[in-house]
Amino acid sequence: LLTAPLPQERGGNNSFTHEALTLKYKLDNQFELVFVVGFQKILTLTYVDKLIDDVHKEFRDKYRNEFQQKGALGLLNGTFDFKDDFMRLLRDAEESSRVRAPTVMKTFEQSLKSQKTVKCMIETRGEKPKEKVKNKKNKGSKKEGTEVAAAPSKASGGDKQPSAAGEKEELTKDEILQKNREEFFRRHMKAGEKSRSPKPDAQKEKGKKPRVWDLGNSNAKVLDYSNSATNGSTEACPVEEFDPDMALGDKNREPGRLYDLEYESEDEAEEEKVVQNTSKPSAKKGGLGGMFGMLKGLVGSKSLTREDMDPVLEKMKDHLIAKNVAAEIAVQLCESVAKKLEGKVMGTFTTVTSTVKQALQEALVQILQPQRRVDMLRDVMDAQRHRRPYVVTFCGVNGVGKSTNLAKISFWLIENGFSVLIAACDTFRAGAVEQLRTHTRRLNALHPPESHGGRTMVQLYEKGYGKDAAGIAMEAISYGRCGARGAAVPHAAPPGPSWPFPVPPARNQGFDVVLVDTAGRMQDNAPLMTALAKLIAVNAPDLVLFVGEALVGNEAVDQLVKFNKALADHSMAQTPRLIDGIVLTKFDTIDDKVGAAISMTYITSKPIVFVGTGQTYCDLRSLNAKAVVAALMKA
Amino acid sequence: AGGLEPDLAALRQELSGPAALSVLIALVAVAVTFLIWRFVQGRRSSRKAVLLLGLCDAGKTLLFARLLSGRYRDTQTSITDSSATYRVSREKSTNVTLIDLPGHESLRLQFLERFKAAARAIVFVVDSVAFQREVKDVAEFLYQVLVDGTVLKNAPALLIACNKQDVTMAKSAKLIQQQLEKELNTLRVTRSAAPTTLDSSGGPAQLGKKGKDFDFSQLPMKVEFVECSARGSKGEDGDADLEGLEKWLVKVA
Repeated sequence: LLTAPLPQERGGNNSFTHEALTLKYKLDNQFELVFVVGFQKILTLTYVDKLIDDVHKEFRDKYRNEFQQKGALGLLNGTFDFKDDFMRLLRDAEESSRVRAPTVMKTFEQSLKSQKTVKCMIETRGEKPKEKVKNKKNKGSKKEGTEVAAAPSKASGGDKQPSAAGEKEELTKDEILQKNREEFFRRHMKAGEKSRSPKPDAQKEKGKKPRVWDLGNSNAKVLDYSNSATNGSTEACPVEEFDPDMALGDKNREPGRLYDLEYESEDEAEEEKVVQNTSKPSAKKGGLGGMFGMLKGLVGSKSLTREDMDPVLEKMKDHLIAKNVAAEIAVQLCESVAKKLEGKVMGTFTTVTSTVKQALQEALVQILQPQRRVDMLRDVMDAQRHRRPYVVTFCGVNGVGKSTNLAKISFWLIENGFSVLIAACDTFRAGAVEQLRTHTRRLNALHPPESHGGRTMVQLYEKGYGKDAAGIAMEAISYGRCGARGAAVPHAAPPGPSWPFPVPPARNQGFDVVLVDTAGRMQDNAPLMTALAKLIAVNAPDLVLFVGEALVGNEAVDQLVKFNKALADHSMAQTPRLIDGIVLTKFDTIDDKVGAAISMTYITSKPIVFVGTGQTYCDLRSLNAKAVVAALMKA
Repeated sequence: AGGLEPDLAALRQELSGPAALSVLIALVAVAVTFLIWRFVQGRRSSRKAVLLLGLCDAGKTLLFARLLSGRYRDTQTSITDSSATYRVSREKSTNVTLIDLPGHESLRLQFLERFKAAARAIVFVVDSVAFQREVKDVAEFLYQVLVDGTVLKNAPALLIACNKQDVTMAKSAKLIQQQLEKELNTLRVTRSAAPTTLDSSGGPAQLGKKGKDFDFSQLPMKVEFVECSARGSKGEDGDADLEGLEKWLVKVA
């Protein structure tokens, strides 16, 4: 829990599953505490959330002064004898979940239907019924209504009905009057029904609310139709709290901008006035309280609440999406930042906006920090020492720049004195092999064998078109290991001054690095993904690089997820080889819409190893996290 | 306009009197106070922090707890920093602020950024048992610390604490020193050969002397190696084996 979601900004929802356990956690940002409850995944305990809240409150109140005064020393030296309290709280929580009786179905008398229909049914001529009625339901309720209406009249007559049903008594005058009255009533009802049916239609026209289809800026409340007109109930419909001004649009919204569905229209002009905004509701109560709230916010003993942060976070989310970060990732990021900041006490003279921006910036830098070492040269040297080539595989969808960047990387490796074998495993696309051959020729022209002690630095291993890519890769790797005809030739001359690295004494004809170029494939194409997974599983390369272009937006998430899934599904090993690193290409085509970098690293938690910034051999860079985040946060 | 002139004349008369002198003295007092305040600020912000750095599970938090309280505590992976003042020895009344930073890869650089300016000394904790496996990661982190601009400028004293010596398989400090020197030797070449960063800010600073093999004595700061054990040879109830570390802290404070 501590090493995966919390530092990597995945702390949006507060539960985490690991093997057979589910962990629910809660952060206290004021005192920097984490409360974790673990239970078996198969159990569904309903009282866990309540338990965590109770424990949090009690612990905090009990040891509050230790945290506040003594800080870290308090944490170290204090004894936190909380076990008894915890057992008590646990018992309470368990009991409360058991005690709650199963909900009993309401009887007819209790339901709203019986209570309301009487009132509605009894109508006098000339009175307009207010409800919106449907004829069938109307009739049904009418029948019951007549019974019910008849019942009180009967009840007033006493137990006449059973007597009438039982014996044929002689009806008294009163009884006859009563009977007639009932008949009259019934007939009157039916007549009323007929006369009423056109009326409800007319009523329907008036009561019909104008549909608001404007997706932008409708208040979420207006779009929520679930409360109005519950089935069958003909109660007086609540007067709709419908403010046409609010629903039809913010006066100062940006025209043409497409908001997300869940966007709640807030005041646009609230950027610098967020502090005052929070004190506005309190200002309504009393001017003095509002002023203190504002001052409190300035001086810095105000703790952040969700309502304070929501408008700022919405804006930040839109900003991130505008910078080409995938939408779901922007949402998750903002959630995680909100969780981290909730309840935190702001420092002096800091506004909510600046605190949230700061937290978001730190979160983004954290995401871009590599989880594992990003040093290919070091690993190549290691492989050199073990007399085997370092194998790198490039995969990705069509047209992202795999072959171009492969050439750039081989140029870089040659500059550093390593010999490269390029394996042309793209046996499908026309011209793929010729492309690589041209690159090889050019690179050899730039770095002729004479300047490197007689070795050809780059060579191409190809078997034409239409063959099996995995087989070609395997042959290429074994060729790279022992070279032509498997002869081990000791290196004759001592290395010259251009050789930066200490060289092992005997050097075989093999190559230091093997770069495997594969065909581009869409992530949905199952047979091709299987083929790629087979290539990687069989050949076990040292590094699997996913090549993605920086222009991609939400697609990045889908591509990476599906590629990883395919690699995991089709490998037989216990720990399948997944994507180890990302090459971000076409970085020069985006100005500062660098969100794709964030999307890709967030999804895979693997580092961006190279960044391609052009089409010449020198256009290879490494990622600078701070610069990317600065470009991302820039307004 | 006529009214102003007599006022000005009156003002000039007043100023020429002893009032002028008092005004001047007041100004000088303010200036002196300002200067003193700046000086004190400068002194207060002088570095008084000792940072505990290292990889995950090196034992930093336990070391922190042992130094401060002397008792053993079960610790978890830190996700945030902890700081406290530590009284260096009984005779001198100097205090240093011990700061324990998390070792998690995503967090370590960020916290280092925050605290490096205040660092008077750095304790780099190394897990001597897992060193053989982790030597590349240890060297990489150490390289990042050493190459940092602020660290090179301030040159805080560096102690490499080889922790977990209570386990029999632990490597000795000498061996760790040799291996780290070799790794850093290759690292400084691979790092300078790496492709430049996007905004092509100046490449990483050169570590040590060119041409010669890397040696810790080539660094601008004092580097020492010490063996210690935060858990202690007698298990949880006994004391930790921190003599070398404590002596070094006395020297540094």
